[in-house]
Amino acid sequence: MKINSILFTVIFIGIQIFTVAQQDEKIRFSGLTRSFFSRDVNKIDLDTTSTKNFSSGYNLIDLNTHINPIKEIEVFAQLRISNQFGSFFGSGTNIIVRQLTAKGVLGNRIKFTIGDMYLKQNKFTLHNYDEELPFFNSDFVSSYRDIVHYENFFMDNRWRLQGIQTNFSYEFDRFIKSLEFDFFITRPRGNQYITNLNRISDMLLSGGSLISKINSNLTFESNYINLFEIPSTGNINISVRNPVIQGGLNYHYNTPKAKLEHNIQGGFSERSWLQFDSLTNYTVGMFSEFSSSYSKKDSSLSFSFGGRYVDPNFRSSGSQTRRINFNDNTPSIYSTYSNDESQRPISIFDIISDPTIYNQDLSTNLMGFNPIYSNSLPFGDATPNRLGVFAKLNLISKNKFLELNFNSSYFEEVIGQGSLLKRNFVLFSGNTKFNLHEILGLNKKLSVSVSMVDETTKRSSSNAENVNLSSSQLNFSSSIETLDDLFIQLGYKSFNSKGNEYLTTRSAYGMIQGFTPINYNQNDNMYIAGLKYKFRPNVYLNLQYNLWGTNFNDSNISDFKYQRLLFIFSVKL
Amino acid sequence: MKTRHIYILTIISIFTIFSCTKEKSEGPSINELYGDFDGTASLLVSNKNPNFSNNEVTKFSCEFGKIVDWKISITGLVSNAKKIITGNSNILDSNINFWDGSASEFPFFIEENCALELTFLYQPDTLRDTVLITGTQLYDDGYIVADFENGFPVDGYIKPQINPDQTFVIADDQPLLGDYYFQMGGKINFDWALGKIDLKLDYSSSPISASAEDFYLNLGILSDTVGLHTGQFMNILISESDSAFNSGGAADVATIFDNNEEVYKLKIYIDWDGWKLISIRYSDFVATNSSPGVTFAKNPKDIKGMRIACQACPSSGASAQCEENFDRMVRTDFDHIIFTENRAFFDVITGFVGDTWNKN
Repeated sequence: MKINSILFTVIFIGIQIFTVAQQDEKIRFSGLTRSFFSRDVNKIDLDTTSTKNFSSGYNLIDLNTHINPIKEIEVFAQLRISNQFGSFFGSGTNIIVRQLTAKGVLGNRIKFTIGDMYLKQNKFTLHNYDEELPFFNSDFVSSYRDIVHYENFFMDNRWRLQGIQTNFSYEFDRFIKSLEFDFFITRPRGNQYITNLNRISDMLLSGGSLISKINSNLTFESNYINLFEIPSTGNINISVRNPVIQGGLNYHYNTPKAKLEHNIQGGFSERSWLQFDSLTNYTVGMFSEFSSSYSKKDSSLSFSFGGRYVDPNFRSSGSQTRRINFNDNTPSIYSTYSNDESQRPISIFDIISDPTIYNQDLSTNLMGFNPIYSNSLPFGDATPNRLGVFAKLNLISKNKFLELNFNSSYFEEVIGQGSLLKRNFVLFSGNTKFNLHEILGLNKKLSVSVSMVDETTKRSSSNAENVNLSSSQLNFSSSIETLDDLFIQLGYKSFNSKGNEYLTTRSAYGMIQGFTPINYNQNDNMYIAGLKYKFRPNVYLNLQYNLWGTNFNDSNISDFKYQRLLFIFSVKL
Repeated sequence: MKTRHIYILTIISIFTIFSCTKEKSEGPSINELYGDFDGTASLLVSNKNPNFSNNEVTKFSCEFGKIVDWKISITGLVSNAKKIITGNSNILDSNINFWDGSASEFPFFIEENCALELTFLYQPDTLRDTVLITGTQLYDDGYIVADFENGFPVDGYIKPQINPDQTFVIADDQPLLGDYYFQMGGKINFDWALGKIDLKLDYSSSPISASAEDFYLNLGILSDTVGLHTGQFMNILISESDSAFNSGGAADVATIFDNNEEVYKLKIYIDWDGWKLISIRYSDFVATNSSPGVTFAKNPKDIKGMRIACQACPSSGASAQCEENFDRMVRTDFDHIIFTENRAFFDVITGFVGDTWNKN
């Protein structure tokens, strides 16, 4: 009854708004609708406790309403109506307000946003780094990628936060060309009860950016961010403070055919906890980075290289929070398996397909990660305790037959962990896409992609400190257009990891308390075959078959293998 | 700005950053946690002919290569006395790991040869040596509260519950040390309290400087398990009251343990056969319930009295809770009560019940 009433109200308001919209065009609509259906089958012979197969799915519509009561103001509301597969009208139907934002311009000068917003600053202050492994370059997993990113509000490496933001700029005739300012304050977390009596405080995130064009070639940038808790809103008398400041110069030079850039930046962080009236676990860290890049204006070639130092004590909640926390995180599909009902670890298939393992909350401590999937830079460029160099190359042939991306890096720890010896990390990744239709003169698209990622971690020692871990990933995919806009998808992923590492255990204040030795000899596989019909780039219908699993090559750990039939119909307007 | 200027700044910043991190490593040593055990390690024993009566000690040192659970067992070859020292570390530090001649359990060591063994959890290696005791530990380097060698303290009180089956006397048949000990027990079916003794103390002019954490109460408690009451226990109360020891109550009961005084308490359930050697940190004693206005500031130097009370769960009458113990005897005998600073004579026992009610 309640849901029916809400539905009626929503539809009524929608009709009214639509009517008004047609009258004066102050309202416009956008949105997304998706139908998702999956049938998962357990292919483990020695698992008689888990269900053999099950199906699930949903239909949803996100209705975006953009209201402009006056020219300078826009109110945005996103209403989600979702219905689980197998439920009837009213039962299993959820209606939520997913996003609410108001934004506008004051005096034609100062822009402001209130409510839900997507924020990003520098890579060391506020940046939502991509999840591990560059899976998503593969077109055949783009349907999964769209869902994972959309459901977790991952957009352009921004963090989705709630608060108020404003920005404005000035232009000058002498000394400098322009000054741009951006300020925000958000509340990533409200106060919460952690026990029946104890309540943690409100967490706020504030910050600001200043960008100044000193001349046509030189730009100065500075960012400041502070994550802190307000002790008076809780009762445990422990509150964190984590300010980070960054400054950098960018020198860019244009030639008729290319652009040359040099960047240098550095910054500091502090982190401490206020317990009653005294600061505890106070740490100060810093970072610095330089890089140069060359890119042709026709995008056919670009390369860059640089060096980076990130102090072991550099802590930046806004840039070091990971999308996936491997601690206490279980996948939603077959979360337990085998007759021992073991907890199933997160595999490459879960990273690709499971939106529920992803995190949307800023963390004041370094989150858990799995070293086989990302050990070199688990916290992106802001990974602490790293000193090294990196290089990137992008190449597109003139006839667009070949697209090549190549990344490499060599990093070393600044100080050892549990040892005076330092680990070093070597990372190579490359992706090559052959657009065969370009050289074969075909009317329909035919492309083949091959990519690989190879990561090695070493700490050479003749005793227990020795670490030698290698991970490699091989991807193969092809997309064959058979009829107009109908593509046959074939793909294969193989991930292998072998060697040993130590997992770190940290205290509530982020200090390393211990290490757990772990040996890997793991192989993840995923086979994909499917059909995709693209009405438009954002409107498609995808039918896929996935066969995936993991072999641990360890008699004490059960392997797992599953298959999935997937149907997605997605319309994004 | 020229490009070279940017590179100059880069180089400057790179050089600057190298001075930022002072630490060499973070976290505990992996080698100590997971390194190989050094099976060739040798145990070094200093002073193999110790005279413990002169406060000499025997020190141990050894390096294992990794952090392990280790155990030193010392056995008197004549008395069969035992001393067990345990730890978890990658070395035996002679400044921490030494033997003062004390025993972990009754009997005590005599002047005799002792076998010494160092063993490790999950490691087959055993390191052995011997020590000859030329003088025994006297257990007198501290502040003796009562040892009953010269009778019961004249300024103390003995207060058994009125009942013909109570035993609150000094005896000489099974002393822990010296010739005498105190028998405290008997039988009262209908009540908790069997009786108590109050001992007057004053350390205000002593050189005690240890905190409650480093101040130990050491004593031996004697019981048996043959037909004995299974709900017997001992309450030890320590008063830091500035009032007079007995300021006008009953003639044979101290008033410094009253509800409106600064009193700390510990409860010891007694379920063993023979002497048990116990050391307790004073900091483990808990403040008793008290009237408003009493300030609890535990300080060993302010100790003014000790009460040792014998209690057992009633087996009949209105308070009966342990009917199975009807007519069973209670035995909580004790001897050689002594405070020590910064060292315990015996194994430090924790986990005693610190309930704050029932001061009798």
